[in-house]
Amino acid sequence: MMSAQERPIIEATLEDFLFRVRPRIKALFGRFQIPLEDSEDLLQQTLLAFIYQRPVIRDTEPWLLGTLRKKCLLYLREKRRTLYETVDASVLELVARPVAPAQEAADLRRDLLAALGRLPSRCQALLSLRYTYGLDQAELARRMGYSPASISKVTARCLATLSRYLCGQRFVLRK
Amino acid sequence: MTEHHPSPRELEEFVLGRLPKGEMRKVSRHLLAGCEECGRATSSLWSHEAEPTEVADRPAPKQLQAPTPDAYDQVLDRVFARVVAKEKVIEQERAEAAHLFAELIRHPPARRELLVRNSVRFRRRMLAEKLVEESHTAGFSAPAQSVDLAQLAVLVAEAVCAAGELDAEASNSLAAKTWAQLGNALRVAGDLSGAEREIARALEQLDAPGGSSMLDRATVHYRLAALRKEQRRFAEALELLDRVGAIYRRLGQRSLLARTLRKKAMVLGEAGEPEAEIALYHRALELIDQQEEPWDFLVARHNLICALSDCGRYREAFALLFHTRPLYLKHGTPLTLVHMRWLEGAIALGLGRLDQAEAAFCEVRSKYLERSMDFDAALAALNLAEVYARRGRAGEVRVLAEEVLAVFAARQIHREAFAALSMLAEAARVETAQASLVREVSDLVKRSRGLQD
Repeated sequence: MMSAQERPIIEATLEDFLFRVRPRIKALFGRFQIPLEDSEDLLQQTLLAFIYQRPVIRDTEPWLLGTLRKKCLLYLREKRRTLYETVDASVLELVARPVAPAQEAADLRRDLLAALGRLPSRCQALLSLRYTYGLDQAELARRMGYSPASISKVTARCLATLSRYLCGQRFVLRK
Repeated sequence: MTEHHPSPRELEEFVLGRLPKGEMRKVSRHLLAGCEECGRATSSLWSHEAEPTEVADRPAPKQLQAPTPDAYDQVLDRVFARVVAKEKVIEQERAEAAHLFAELIRHPPARRELLVRNSVRFRRRMLAEKLVEESHTAGFSAPAQSVDLAQLAVLVAEAVCAAGELDAEASNSLAAKTWAQLGNALRVAGDLSGAEREIARALEQLDAPGGSSMLDRATVHYRLAALRKEQRRFAEALELLDRVGAIYRRLGQRSLLARTLRKKAMVLGEAGEPEAEIALYHRALELIDQQEEPWDFLVARHNLICALSDCGRYREAFALLFHTRPLYLKHGTPLTLVHMRWLEGAIALGLGRLDQAEAAFCEVRSKYLERSMDFDAALAALNLAEVYARRGRAGEVRVLAEEVLAVFAARQIHREAFAALSMLAEAARVETAQASLVREVSDLVKRSRGLQD
């Protein structure tokens, strides 16, 4: 945080301001490795919000970089959520296939149990019920004693843990 | 385990959640089988950190060919060009909003509402923003008008959002901001339950799909903190202000953070924590540039001097007031100078300089009466009564106590405060009102300001 003695530089124009912050915007995108095609949307949303709110923003550069950074974080969180949901959907489809040969089905059951066995016990229980018996959120909540509001958060965390496990993140697992 | 390993590109796309469904299923199956080689490959694509939080930087799942910073140049060129062009449009919209506001304000309130409801001309985002700003300003002097303007802002914002011209975040932010201002205006006007209702609507809007801007989120929470302070729910007010401060810190907004610290200090003062209050005023002053924001600096200094005086640190208060006097004279309004004079009286009283205290309180009382600020004039009268009590001038204490009681009988002040005043007046009648009793009653009446039964 700046002290009062570090006065913000007042640019005459928006162009001057954008010229000055350009390197820092590029560095921010580079650090978060935002794909080029998605960076355009993130930057445009941020800058449009900036010009609408500019009269009330005294410290322009920190506002811009702080807001853009937050958008990058939310973008990444959304991408990870997409991964967790698609992993979940993939596993559900795998276990639901009706015509898999007996050996294939047995191998899948074995591998799934082995993977779930490496997860924290709460996630083991929840995902076993989900994949073995196909229980939906409401039924999971009832069986495991969660409220309807909290079961979706717990499920999301367990799916995140499973996804990280599949992606080789063995060392983040804790029992 | 299958012998076919996904390609590095497929593994990258898997980690980013971008493969088609069938491919995701195949890769998931392959990884479920525990393929060490592919596990190592995906592990190297993933951050070793936990989930990204709002506080710390958490790198993304790495891409095999991540863009270099210079690769973003074309993106920046395109976006900057669009935004610079858009800025001119927004400036025009702001000017237009100022004209529309001037036109609206010429009409009586009922007609303004009709115009806004029936004429598409007034359905402008910048007009809603202008109405919020004007409502906020009006709150300092004309609470009823502040409510009217805020209600208009809500109508305009609802029409703009319903028209679907804004993206989700902008729409949520505009709606939240207008409801929060209406809540604030109602609070200032004394309708605390109305304020609670409107601010609750604003909070819901902040969390609607699409999210909202961090600045507007902070504004809504700040308004809620002000309401909680008024309701004397100090712990909640402090927690809310901490959240607001965290947002301003993250966005690097010094002035807004300083304002938040000042508000937090005021809450601590009312909660009976004067030392914590004083410490926060010092922190707020460190963030305010005296050259750039002289008024904000003066307000913070004034509040600090009051806090020092209130907790009995009269010498420090005196020294700081001495050094701040040039600022009062240069940047203060006529009313600010009256407040300063009152502070001089309070400090003089604390230091036992009764002549100076008496002169100051007499002057301040008559200035407040000239401005029809009868509550403040009555408080000054109580301060004067304390001086008279210390000087053994019981007759003058009685006159002042009865005068103050009459003023508050005509207002709906808090029951407890009125009872204390009645007791003081009775004690003064029989000439047993000690200075300490006057001081206690004065403090109680001051704290009761804004309280409702």
